[in-house]
Amino acid sequence: MKKVNWLVVLTGALIGLAALVLTAQGNPANMGFCIACFLRDIAGAVGMHSAAKVQYVRPEIIGLVLGAFVMSVATKEFRAKAGSSPATRFVLGAFVMIGALAFLGCPLRMVIRLGGGDANALVGLAGFIIGIVIGVQFLKRGFSLKRAYEVGSAEGGVLPAVVTGLLILVLAVPALFKASTEGPGSMHAPMLLALVIAAVVGALAQKARMCMVGGIRDAVLFKDFKLLYGFVAIFLVVLAGNLITGSFRFGFTLQPIAHSSHLWNLLGMVLVGWGSVLLGGCPLRQLILAGEGNGDSAVTVFGMVVGAALAHNFGLAGNPDTLNEAKELVVGGISTAGKIAVILGFAVLAFISAVNLPKEEKAAVGAKAA
Amino acid sequence: MSQYIATFHTHLAALLTCRTLTGLGVSARMMPVPRKLSSSCGTCIRYEAEGPRLDAMDTDVERVYETDGQTYTLLKENR
Repeated sequence: MKKVNWLVVLTGALIGLAALVLTAQGNPANMGFCIACFLRDIAGAVGMHSAAKVQYVRPEIIGLVLGAFVMSVATKEFRAKAGSSPATRFVLGAFVMIGALAFLGCPLRMVIRLGGGDANALVGLAGFIIGIVIGVQFLKRGFSLKRAYEVGSAEGGVLPAVVTGLLILVLAVPALFKASTEGPGSMHAPMLLALVIAAVVGALAQKARMCMVGGIRDAVLFKDFKLLYGFVAIFLVVLAGNLITGSFRFGFTLQPIAHSSHLWNLLGMVLVGWGSVLLGGCPLRQLILAGEGNGDSAVTVFGMVVGAALAHNFGLAGNPDTLNEAKELVVGGISTAGKIAVILGFAVLAFISAVNLPKEEKAAVGAKAA
Repeated sequence: MSQYIATFHTHLAALLTCRTLTGLGVSARMMPVPRKLSSSCGTCIRYEAEGPRLDAMDTDVERVYETDGQTYTLLKENR
């Protein structure tokens, strides 16, 4: 049996516990943490989209980045580097976000939804694994976004500085920002509590290299399961918490902020899994890497924010299941534009995957296509 | 025979170096970078050879260590 990394397990358990606490304190159900949803809320709060129900400066994002930043500085692991195909990463980040919002959650929320009994997350998990396996095939053939180089500390500190500025502004001049009065954006834990919890999670995630994609990627690529135990720990703690509090409800329909349009839950997460393998980490991992000085991950996060804005400005994001006035189920899902965006995402990912193969592999792919 | 670990700036560099080492008859395998060596979640190569075989490393090699499984001695660094 492979050695268990107990720091990864402990971090996973604490993330699960933090998600339960944040939900109990006001965050939407099954959304103690959701990197995609929270970046989307921030995009709305700063006016990048006008979906009135999803606008709020989520302190969890700020806390995660600053927690990772402080931990990496304290342990001398802060390394400013950048230059690994930043424009490509921006685009990948945007499409990962479009896929996540089609499913209505990032990989971390997918695990949290699973722990709440949301069976749609099982469909999402299947898609996520399929996407990772596709991405791994390109890694095996030598896919590379090229190396990053050491840069000045100021460059590496861009995202920590941006979120610090955001925190100062939201505390000093809250009227600058939009804030939902109904819907998911209006539901949130107290700001200071969320900030502190997220900072602890960010610090631990930096130490443990917690990554939702990395666990499955390493299992597929190297038969190494260490990171996967963190994934499992989050699920088990959230499951136990929901069972104890009576919040567990197994099923597909009418799950909190979720839809039961299976095909698009699946395909949305295929997009997330594939794109995240190409990026080298899930949305949570991108925040943590940006916190420890990775400028390319900061660019990816900016891409995700823009992707969220596009998703809501063009009506690409998923709509949850609802009941109509006659109390009949109205299955949610994504619009035709959203479906086109997800399919376009596959085309973009396939193009990026192919053009970033080594020359001999590109020739082989071209020969096979011919 | 000694044990070595080489870390890389890219997964591709690890892949190419692993192929080169294997082609030279060196026992080598790819794996995630040990946490003790880096906070990044990249790919490294663990190999066993008479010497560190620095000549076989791809240009995007980052560091080469000699290891006994517990401690790591830095032999080469390419920032």
